[in-house]
Amino acid sequence: MNLKFVLPVLLAGLLAGCGSVLSPGHARRDFLVTGAAPDHLFVINPRTQKVVSDFTIPGAHDYVSVIVPSPSGKVAYVLVNRTRSIAGINLRTGKEVFRANLEQPGERVTCMYAFDVTPNGKELIVYVYRTRLEIDQYRVQAPRFLIFSTTAGLHAKPLREFPAPRRVQMILAKHDGRSFFAIGFNLYEYDLRTGRLIERRGILNWHRPHHLRPDMLAFWPVTEPTGIFSSPIYSTLVGPGTPPGGVPETSLLTLNLHDGHLAYHDIGRTNALIFSTVIGPDRRWAYGAYTQLTKIKMDGTHWRVADRVTLPHTYYSVNISPNGKEVYVGGTMCDVIIYDARTMREKGDVQLPGCADQATATLRVIERR
Amino acid sequence: MHWRVSSLISCGVAAVAALLGTVDAAHAAMMPPAPARAGLTAVQAHCSACHRETAPGHFDRISEERKTPEGWAMTIFRMQNVHGVRLTQKQLRTIIRYLSDVQGLAPSEIRAGRFALERRPNHPILKLPYNLPVMCGRCHSLARVALTRQPASEWRKLINFHVGQFPFLEYQDGSRDIRWWKIASTQLPAELAKLFPLHSAAWRQWRNRPRADLAGEWIVHGDTPGRGDYYGTALIKRKSWDRYGARYVLHYANGAAFDGSSDAIVYTGFQWRGTGTLGGKSVHEVYFASANGARIGGRWFLDGHAEIGGDWDAARIAGAAKVMAVIPGALKAGTRQRVIVVGRGLRGGVDLGPGTTARIVARRPYGLILSVRVNAHAAPGYRTVRVGGVWKSDLLAVYRRVERLEVQPAFAIARLGGGTLAPVDAQFQAIGYTNVVGAHGKVSAVRLGAMPVTWSVEPFNAEAAKREDVRFAGTLNQDGLFLPAEGGPDPKRRFSADNTGDLYVVATRKTGKTAVVGKAHLIVTVQRWIHPPIY
Ligand code: HEC
Ligand code: HEC
Repeated sequence: MNLKFVLPVLLAGLLAGCGSVLSPGHARRDFLVTGAAPDHLFVINPRTQKVVSDFTIPGAHDYVSVIVPSPSGKVAYVLVNRTRSIAGINLRTGKEVFRANLEQPGERVTCMYAFDVTPNGKELIVYVYRTRLEIDQYRVQAPRFLIFSTTAGLHAKPLREFPAPRRVQMILAKHDGRSFFAIGFNLYEYDLRTGRLIERRGILNWHRPHHLRPDMLAFWPVTEPTGIFSSPIYSTLVGPGTPPGGVPETSLLTLNLHDGHLAYHDIGRTNALIFSTVIGPDRRWAYGAYTQLTKIKMDGTHWRVADRVTLPHTYYSVNISPNGKEVYVGGTMCDVIIYDARTMREKGDVQLPGCADQATATLRVIERR
Repeated sequence: MHWRVSSLISCGVAAVAALLGTVDAAHAAMMPPAPARAGLTAVQAHCSACHRETAPGHFDRISEERKTPEGWAMTIFRMQNVHGVRLTQKQLRTIIRYLSDVQGLAPSEIRAGRFALERRPNHPILKLPYNLPVMCGRCHSLARVALTRQPASEWRKLINFHVGQFPFLEYQDGSRDIRWWKIASTQLPAELAKLFPLHSAAWRQWRNRPRADLAGEWIVHGDTPGRGDYYGTALIKRKSWDRYGARYVLHYANGAAFDGSSDAIVYTGFQWRGTGTLGGKSVHEVYFASANGARIGGRWFLDGHAEIGGDWDAARIAGAAKVMAVIPGALKAGTRQRVIVVGRGLRGGVDLGPGTTARIVARRPYGLILSVRVNAHAAPGYRTVRVGGVWKSDLLAVYRRVERLEVQPAFAIARLGGGTLAPVDAQFQAIGYTNVVGAHGKVSAVRLGAMPVTWSVEPFNAEAAKREDVRFAGTLNQDGLFLPAEGGPDPKRRFSADNTGDLYVVATRKTGKTAVVGKAHLIVTVQRWIHPPIY
C-alpha cells in the first residue's frame, strides 16, 4: 500500500478521534461485530476504529456466516461449520456459551442462513433443510423450524419443531414475542409456541400494479437500529410509458417487526446492484451496499436514490450507528469502512487482522450497556 | 478436487486378462467377452456393502443405470471422495470398463451429448423439453443429463442427491423464482425417464452385436484450430480384448511433422479413449468408431488444456476408392502451390477443374501430393476434384479475393488462471468467404476455410473500455489463441476486481488498400475449480 492510500486513512482516524471528544454527554457504547474465515469473530470499536476483540469460534470448519446478536448485545449467535452448526459466543469473554450441532444420526441438517433470536433473548428460531442419508441413497425431507433454548448450553437440542415451507431465506422474530416471520416465496407468520401458520402474504406474487414478479435474495438479517428489516427487491416496470420489455426497477421491501407492516417502495431504475440495506434511526434515510454505497431518501411515499459513492471493492453487508451518523460497510473481504452518513465521505477503514475473509458474514451493531 | 479422469480411463497399463488371442484378419468381428469376471468380482467386492446384490450380478442402484465411461468415472469418484470407497487405480479401471460394457450407451444414445465427451469448448445448448434447460442446465451442461439412462425411480434418487448435497440449489438464480423442488420431485423424474429410459431397442441391439476389430492401417486427416489441417496415416494394433496401441505419421499442410502415438481402451465396443502424444505434446483422444469399424472420428485435446485440440477423422486404408479431403481447401487465383489430396485407391490422372493445372508429384499411402497452378483469371467457385474414376465436389474452392471473414467461434468463454489452476484459453480462427455470381446473377458465398490474418482485441462496449479490459484480461497471440491473465483480486483495477473482461476478438486481412475484418465476442471470466470429465 502506498502513502497516498495510507495518509487519508490515518487522517480520517485522527479526525474521528477528535469527533468523539468534541461531543461529550453522548457516551456511545455501540460496537461492530463481524466474522471471518476460518474461525474469527471480531468486535470493532468504531470510535477508535480498532479491532478490540478477535475471538476464535470452536469447530467453525473454515466457515463463518450469518451473525445474530442477542438483544442484550452480550452474545453473538453465529452460523458456522458449513451451515451445520450455530455457535453462541460471549462478546466480552469470547467463550462459547451455546452450541447447536444440527446434524442428526443418519440425517444431514443444514440451516439455510435463516435464524433469529426472540426479543427476550430466550429462544433461537432456526430454519433447517434435512436430508436422510441412507445406505445407498439420499432422501430429501421436509424443512423444519427448530426452536432452541438459548440456555441449553453446548449440546443444545430443539425444544420444539414445526413443519416449514421450502426455500425460506430469512427468519425474523416479531417484537411482541409471540410470533415470527419467515421470508421465502411468501412472507409467512407463525405462532412461536405452536408453529401454527398465522398469515401468508405474497412476496413473489406481490401483485403490485405495473410490476412483474420480483426477485429477492437476502441473507443479511439486519434490523438494528429501528426494528425494521429492509432488503432490495428487483423487478421490471411495465405499462404506460415504458419501452417493450419494461425497465428494471429496484424497490425496497420493509418489514416492521413491531407491527408486521410489510411495504414496498420503488427507489429507481436498477443501474447498480445492492446486496443489503439498512434503515437509519430517523427513518428518513436508508443505505445499501455492494460495489457502491447508496443513500436512499425515504420521503413519504416517494423514495429515491439520493447519493451514491464508489466503494474500493465489493461489500455485501451494510449497517449504521445507533445515532445514524456513521454508515459501515463490511463483508466480502478483510476490511470494514466507516462513512459519514451525511456527507458520504470515508472516515476510516478498519483492517481485520491477518486479512481474514468476511465472505457472507453479517456486519452487526450492538450496544453495550 | 482435480479431475484427471481421461488419463485414468485410458491409461495404457491396465491389466484385465486378455480374453481373446490376437485376431489377425482385419475387420474380423470379435465376439463379446466371456463373462467379464474381473469387473463383476470387483463390483461385488467394493460396492455391494452399500449397494445390495439383490440377484446374481444385479446391484441396487448400480444396475439400474447406463452411461459412458466418463459418467461411470464421475460417480465412482464420488463414491471414493464422499462415501469412502477405496480402490486402486487398477480396480477403478476394471470397474469402469466392466460397467461401460455391460451398462453402456449405444452409439445413437451418445450423439446428443457427444460434444461434452469431446470436451468441445464452445458447445451447443441442448434443446430439451420440460423446461430442462432451466431446471437442470444451469450448473452443468445438459450433456450430463442426456448421457444418462435410468428409470424414473433412479432419476428421482438423483434429484434427491442433488438437493441433499447442494441444499443451496433451490436458492440460486434460476431456481428461486420457480418451485424447483416441487417440479423436480413430482413430474420431472417421469419426464426424464421418457426422454432417457433405462431400456432401449438401440442398446439391446448394440449389446448383442459382435465388436469390430479396429486393428489395421488407417488414413487420417483433421484440423487443429490455429495451426491448420493435417493428414497422414495411423497404424493401430490390438493388444487385448479392448486395448489398442497406435502410431501416427502425420504432417501439417506445410509438410511439418505432427507424429504421435497412443494407448487406448475401446469401451462399449466403439468408444476409443486414448492417451499419448501428438507433435510432442501430451494429448487425450476421445474418438468413436462407426458400427462396422470402418471409420474412427472425434476430437483430441491437450492434457490439462482440453479447450485446445483438433478434429480427427480416420478411414481404413483398404476399401473402395475415395477422395476424403483436399489440403488446403482453397486456392488463390494466380498462384502455384502444393496440394494434398487425401484419399484411398487414388489411381489414374488428376483434374481439379477449370482454370487449374495439376501435376502429381508423389503417390503416398494417404493420397497424392500435387503441384497445382491456378490461372490468374480462373473463375472463383467450387471445383470438382477428380482422380481416376472418383470425384468429390465440395472440398476445393478457387478465389480471387477474400470478401468476408467470420471469426469462429463467434462467442467464446476463457477463464483466468492462478494458483495451481491452469487458465482456460480460447482459440479462434478466421474463416474466409468469397462471393460467386451464379447462373441467374445470384450471389452465393463460398467457404474458403481458415485464413491467415492479423489478430487484435477491442473492448466489447463502453463499460469494458472504461474498465480497461483490453489491458487486464489477457493477450491474443498471432495464432488466434487468447491467453487469459491471472485470477484473483487485482489491486490495479477498480473495486480490486478480478481480471475479467468483455472483448471483441478482431481478425483483419489486408490486401493492398482494402481490409476485411471479422469479429467475435470473448468473455474472460473467473476460474473454474473443477474440470469434470463431463462439463
Ligand atoms: C459406503 C457406501 C457405498 C459404497 C461402498 C458404494 N456406494 Fe455408491 N452410493 C452410496 C450412496 C450413499 C449413494 C447415494 C448418494 C450419492 O449419489 O452420492 C450412492 C450412489 C451410487 C450410484 C447412483 C448415483 C448416480 O448418480 O449414478 C451409483 C451408480 C453408485 N453409487 C455406484 C457405486 C459403485 C460402482 C460402487 C463401487 C465402486 C459404489 N457405488 C460403492 C454409497 C456407497
Ligand atoms: C446446483 C447445480 C446443479 C443443478 C441445478 C443440477 N445439477 Fe446435476 N450435478 C451437479 C453437480 C455439482 C454434480 C456432480 C456431483 C458429484 O459427482 O460430485 C452433478 C451431477 C449430475 C449427474 C451425474 C451424476 C453422477 O453420479 O455422476 C447427472 C446425471 C445430473 N447431475 C443430472 C442433473 C439433472 C437431471 C438436473 C435437473 C433435475 C441437475 N443435474 C441439476 C450440479 C447441479
